[in-house]
Amino acid sequence: MADKKKKKRLSKVFDYLKYEDPFAKGVSFCAGCPLERLVRFVPQVMGNDIVITGTPSCSAPVLLGQNGKSWHKLSYYGTLMTGAASNATGLARYYKRAGIDGTVVCFNGDGTAADIGFGNLSGAAERNEPFVYICYDNEGYMNTGIQKSSTTPFGAKTTTTPVGSNERGKNLRRKNLGLLLAMHKIPYAATATLSNLEDFAKKLLKAKEISKKGFCFLHIFSPCPTGWGMPTDTGIEVCRKAVQTNYFPLWEAENGKFSFTKEVKKPKPIKEYVKLVKKFSHLTEEEIEVLQKDVDYEYAVLKQLSLLDQECPLPD
Amino acid sequence: MSEKIYFNFQGPWSDAATELLCSDTGSWRTERPVLDEEKCILCGFCAMYCPIQCIEMKGQFFHSDLNFCKGCGVCARECPKKAISMVPEGEFK
Repeated sequence: MADKKKKKRLSKVFDYLKYEDPFAKGVSFCAGCPLERLVRFVPQVMGNDIVITGTPSCSAPVLLGQNGKSWHKLSYYGTLMTGAASNATGLARYYKRAGIDGTVVCFNGDGTAADIGFGNLSGAAERNEPFVYICYDNEGYMNTGIQKSSTTPFGAKTTTTPVGSNERGKNLRRKNLGLLLAMHKIPYAATATLSNLEDFAKKLLKAKEISKKGFCFLHIFSPCPTGWGMPTDTGIEVCRKAVQTNYFPLWEAENGKFSFTKEVKKPKPIKEYVKLVKKFSHLTEEEIEVLQKDVDYEYAVLKQLSLLDQECPLPD
Repeated sequence: MSEKIYFNFQGPWSDAATELLCSDTGSWRTERPVLDEEKCILCGFCAMYCPIQCIEMKGQFFHSDLNFCKGCGVCARECPKKAISMVPEGEFK
């Protein structure tokens, strides 16, 4: 009914979307991939004057461009997986020395951040280089055909950890990348996901501010509908369940001071998350219990860290 | 090359100043989001979560740009009032 008057109750997230979307409307991401929302969200919040460096990954075909043409209006520097953070270091140092006020964003998947480029990521964190490192975690090498990475959780089915008579998915546990980077005592480390966009926008703005002085790390949970076996419409729903079950808690650490940005009062059992994703569909009760214990342990560590009332900032 | 190209929406490795690549992603779609204007409360959740960012305010309501909508259904799933339904494309031809 056109004549019916409705009060406009827009979500607060729209206040953070201050800049235009620099991407073309039709870009070649899979339908329903939360990564597409993520790459559009970062420049919408941080501004179109950021410089993105990235590696071969799901985001590269779009961010790098094809046939000499570009999908977006941002500056992008494509580099190798073994030297992602080192390249960003060079760019950030150049802009600092030249006196150009710009933010360098190193935008990589979990394969680069946790496995192949972990050495130089750790090095850049230790040297406290002034840029933002964003790792979007889809828990595997999705672009090359869904191989397992070190952030793949226990029991997940991938093409290198298949389910059969000898093997039942990944039999190892995942690496907690956010916590590992926070332990480098960097100025800012945080986790975020796409179901809590307001929280995510706040963290991006904070990272942009702090990255003028030091290293910022953002660990973003981004499910993969193709690789995980989810219907295309459940991308955001899976993100929300991951937060509600404490599978992916939302926290931030500023100068070593940990705090939860969204504390779940009554966490749901991991079973509710597991049943949404087909890569866990073979898990038995005992195997789900192993995953639950892993999640509980990681949460307990974070909880203890958040209770500490101590900081360790670097003197100016 | 202009004297200072950095941060003018123009990087050394792209020709973004002239034109952008764009695919016909609307042709991927098997289902189309249809809005029930009676139920809509204008919260904007569909426009906020749409991965393609093709849902925009057109007139009084949010409608998706069907030239680019991939038909993923995130808008229908996230709508708090279930005002958006996914209708198979065959019904429109």
